[in-house]
Amino acid sequence: MAARMRSSIAQTGQFSWFIKFILKLSLCLSLLSLTACSGHLVGVLAPKGVVAYQERKLFFDTLALMLIVVLPVIVMSLTFIYHYQASHQTEDYQPNWAHSYFLESLWWGIPCAIIVVLAVITWKATHDLDPYKPITGHTEAPLVIQAIALPWKWLFIYPEQNIATLNFLEIPVGQQVELWITTDNVPMSAFFVPQLGSQIYAMAGMRTRLHLLANELGVFEGLDTQYNGQGFSDMHFAVHSVSRADMKAWVGRLQQTGKPLNQAVYHLLLNPSIANEPAFYAGVDPGLFEQVIDLYKNSTGVSHPRSQQLKYHHQAY
Amino acid sequence: MLEKLIFGNLTLSAIPFDSGIIMGAGLFMAIFFFGVLGYITYEKKWSYVWHDWVTSVDHKKIGIMYLMLATVMLLRGFSDAILMRSQQALAAGTSTGYLPPSHYDQIFSAHGVIMIFFVAMPFMFALLNMVVPLQIGARDVAYPYLNSLSFWLTFVGAMLCNASLVIGDFAGTGWLAYPPLSGLYYSPGVGVDYFIWSLQIAGVGTLLASINFIVTIVKMRCKGMTLMKMPVFVWSVLCSMILVALAFPVLTVTLALLALDRMLGMHFFTDFAGGNVMMYVNLIWIWGHPEVYILILPAFGVFSEVVATFSQKKLFGYTTMVYAMAIITVLSFIVWLHHFFTMGAGADVNAFFGIATMVIAIPTGVKVFNWLFTMYKGRIILATPMLWVTAFFTTFAIGGMTGVMLAVPPVDFQMHNSLFLVAHFHNVIIGGVLFGYFAGVIYWFPKVFGFRLDETWGKWAFAFWVTGFYIAFMPLYILGLSGFMRRVNHYANTMYQPYLIVAAIGTAIIFMGIVTQLIQLYVSIKNRDALRDKTGDMWNGRTLEWTVSSPAPIYNFAILPTVCELDPFWAAKEAGRHTCLPDGAERHYQPIHLPKNTPAGFIIALFTGILGFSLVWQMWIPGVVSFVVIIATIIVKSFNTHTDYYLDAETVKQTELAHMREAV
Repeated sequence: MAARMRSSIAQTGQFSWFIKFILKLSLCLSLLSLTACSGHLVGVLAPKGVVAYQERKLFFDTLALMLIVVLPVIVMSLTFIYHYQASHQTEDYQPNWAHSYFLESLWWGIPCAIIVVLAVITWKATHDLDPYKPITGHTEAPLVIQAIALPWKWLFIYPEQNIATLNFLEIPVGQQVELWITTDNVPMSAFFVPQLGSQIYAMAGMRTRLHLLANELGVFEGLDTQYNGQGFSDMHFAVHSVSRADMKAWVGRLQQTGKPLNQAVYHLLLNPSIANEPAFYAGVDPGLFEQVIDLYKNSTGVSHPRSQQLKYHHQAY
Repeated sequence: MLEKLIFGNLTLSAIPFDSGIIMGAGLFMAIFFFGVLGYITYEKKWSYVWHDWVTSVDHKKIGIMYLMLATVMLLRGFSDAILMRSQQALAAGTSTGYLPPSHYDQIFSAHGVIMIFFVAMPFMFALLNMVVPLQIGARDVAYPYLNSLSFWLTFVGAMLCNASLVIGDFAGTGWLAYPPLSGLYYSPGVGVDYFIWSLQIAGVGTLLASINFIVTIVKMRCKGMTLMKMPVFVWSVLCSMILVALAFPVLTVTLALLALDRMLGMHFFTDFAGGNVMMYVNLIWIWGHPEVYILILPAFGVFSEVVATFSQKKLFGYTTMVYAMAIITVLSFIVWLHHFFTMGAGADVNAFFGIATMVIAIPTGVKVFNWLFTMYKGRIILATPMLWVTAFFTTFAIGGMTGVMLAVPPVDFQMHNSLFLVAHFHNVIIGGVLFGYFAGVIYWFPKVFGFRLDETWGKWAFAFWVTGFYIAFMPLYILGLSGFMRRVNHYANTMYQPYLIVAAIGTAIIFMGIVTQLIQLYVSIKNRDALRDKTGDMWNGRTLEWTVSSPAPIYNFAILPTVCELDPFWAAKEAGRHTCLPDGAERHYQPIHLPKNTPAGFIIALFTGILGFSLVWQMWIPGVVSFVVIIATIIVKSFNTHTDYYLDAETVKQTELAHMREAV
C-alpha cells in the first residue's frame, strides 16, 4: 500500500516545469510591483505625522517579534517535510515517539515569553496612541476641527475661526489638531488620513475624537474607511498641511470670502451626492455640530430625524 | 387586499430583467436546477432520490449531501470573487469598471455570507457527519432525524440566499450588515431581509446540529473510549460544537432584533430614538469571533489526523493538543472587541482585548509545533491530503503573524478595514480552514464513497490553488499598507492598479484549481474501479473508521468495538491483528437496531424556506400557512412511534463476509 503511494509520488518530476514557471511568474510579478510602487508610496509606509510614524514603527516591531517564531516554523516545516520523506528511508524513524516534556515546555515557553513582551508593548502603545488623548509631548492647545460625515462627503467646521470647508482639510504643520467626529444622514463611517495617523468611526448621535499632528508640509489623502452606501468609494478629501503663517493667511482670506453656512445651506448638503468639489464657508451657524448630535441623541418617535426634510434614496448615485 | 396578503410586496418588477449579469446568472442557475430535475426524471430515479437521499437519516449520506451543497455554493461564492477582483482590476483612474456600486455591494456582501455560512459551515458538517460516528465507534449520531432536519434547514437557507439573486436583491451592507446601514431607513429594500432570514434558518440548523454532535460525542463513544482516548479530530469537533451551542443563540437573537427593527419599526439598533448601533456590532462579533474558531478547530482536528497518518507516526503531544484546543475555545469568547478597536473605546478596553487576542496565538503556536514534531523522525508520504498540510504550515503561519499584528490596537488603527485585513483573514481562512477541509475530504473520501480521488489531478489542483492563493493575496497586504480599503468600487490613484491586476491573475489561477478539482472528481468517478478501496484501510490509518469496509456499511460497525488506547487500529496492527475486536468476535453477529428514514426533516425545512421567503416579502397568508404546516408536521412526527427497525443478523453477516472476501 505504502509502496503504491510512493510510486505515485515519484512522478512529481512532471511538476518541475510547473515549479520553474511559477518561480519565473513570481519574479515578473514582483518586478512589476516594485516598479509600480517606486516613489509613489502612500499610506503608513510613507508617514507624515507623528502618530503615523509611531504606528509604522510599531508595525515593524511586531513583525520582527512574530518572525522569531514564524520563520523557524516555516523553515522547520519545509525541512522536515523534505528530509523525512518515506522514500528517504531515514534511520531514525521512531513511530511511537510522541512526547517530550523538554520540547513541549520549550514551545509553550517561548511563545509565552514573546507574547509577554508584546503585551507590554501593546499596553504602553495603546495608551500612548489613544486617539482621544492629546499627543504626548505637545502642550500647545490643539486646533479643534469638527468633522461631519454627510452622504457622501466630509464637512469640516473650524469653530474658533468660524469657518467651514467641504471635502478639504487644511491644518498647520507642527500643531496638534483635535477632531470631533460624527455623522448626519449617512450610516456609520470612519475618518482616516493614513499618512497622519489613526482612523476612528463616525456615528450618529455620538462624538468620537481623534488627535493628529502633521510633521511635514504636503497634501495627503483622507478618506472614509467604513462602507456606508453607494457613494463610499468617492468619499475622499485632500488634507493640506501648511505652515502656520500660511494657515493664518488662509483663515483670514476665507473669513472674508466664504459663503455663510446656515441651516438652509446645510440642509442642501444633506442631499446624497458624490465627488463634490471643495467648498468654503465663513460664518457657521453656532453650535451646528452639537445640534447634529443632539438631533439623533434626543430623537424620539418612529421615523428617522432626517426623513421629514428629505428622503434618502438609493437612486441618488 | 387579498392580493397584498398573498403576495405582500412581491411584484414582477422584483426581477431585474434589465441587468444582463444577474439574468445570465439566474438563467444558469435555472438551467442547472431544471437540468438536474430533468435528468432524475429521465433516469426514473425519483424513488431512489427520495428514499435513499432526501428522507435518509444515515449520517454518511447526510454528510455527502452537505458536501454537495458546499461544492455548489463554493462555485457561487467564487463567481462573486471573480467579479470583485475583475472590477477592482479595471476600475482605476477615471474608469468606474463594469459593476455599479448598487450591484457591487451586493456581490461583496453575498461573497462573505456564502463563503462562511454556505461553503465553510456545510463543508465542516460534511466532515463531521462523514467521520465522527465512525471515529467513536458509534452506529449513527445521537438524533438521526434531527441531523436530517439540520441539513435541510442549512440547504433551505442557502437556497433562500440564492433566490435573492433573481427575485429582489441581496443585502448591500457587507457580510455582517452593520446598522444603521442595514436599518430600514438606509436599506428599504428586501436585501437585508433575505440576509436575516437565510442566516436565521441556516443558523437554527447549525445550532441543532451542534447539540446533536455534542450529545453524540458525550454519550455514544464505544466501550473503553474515555475522553482522553478520543481521536483529536473528535476533540476538535467537541470544542467547536460547544462554541456553536454558545455562540449561535447570540446570532439568532441579534438577527431577530434587527428583524423587529425592520418589520415592526422597533428601535434596538437604529441610530435614533434610543437605538444603539454599537450594541449590534458588539453582539454580532460575540457570535462572529467564535465563529472563526468554530471553523478552524475541526480543520486543526483534520491536520492532526492527517499528519499522524501520513508521517506514519503517533501524533506528538496529544494531551497538549487537547488542552490547547480547550484554551482556544474559552479564549475565543473574550476577544470579540478586536474587530472594532476604532469605535472609540478607551485605551484600557482596547489593550485588554488586544492582549487577549495575542494570548490565543500561544496555544495555536503550540499546536503547530506539535504537528511539526509529529513529522520529525517520521516517514512522510506526500499523498494529496498531506500536500495540503504542507501548504498549510507556511500559509497559516503568515496569516497568524499578521493576525497578531492586527491585534495591537494602534497597528489596527492603520490597518482596520483595509486590504491588509482582507489578506489576513483570507490567509487564515483559506490557508487554515479550507486547506484543512480539502485535506479532510480527500482523506476520508474513500470511507464514504468506497474509492479514493485521483492523485495526479489532485496534485495539479493543489499546485494551482496554492500558487493562485499567494499571487492573489500577497499583493493585498501591500495595497492595505498603502491605504487601499476593502469594499472599494473604484479608485482614482492608478498606482494601485498593477497590484490589483496581479491579484486578479491569482484569482484566475485559483479558478483553474477549482476546475481541476472538478475534473479530479469526474476522473475519479470514471476510474472508480481502479481506485477502489478494497481493504477499508486506504491510508494505513490509525483510528476506528479504518477498521470497517469502504464505503462504511449502513450500520457502521457489525460489532461495536472496544478500545483501550489512543489510535486503537494502529496498536492492533502493530500487535499483528487486523481489527480492534477480540479474536472470533466476528462470527457472533446480532440484529442491529437502526433508525427508519423520515421525510419530516425535509418537509419542515421546505416550509421553513417558504416561511422565510414569505417573511422577506411580507406575504402573510403563505407565511401563516407554512408556519401551521411546520407545527403540524412536528406534531404528527412526534406521534409516530414506528421510527426504528432491526437489520437481521444474516444480512449483517453477508455484508461483512462480502467485505472480507474483497479485502483478502
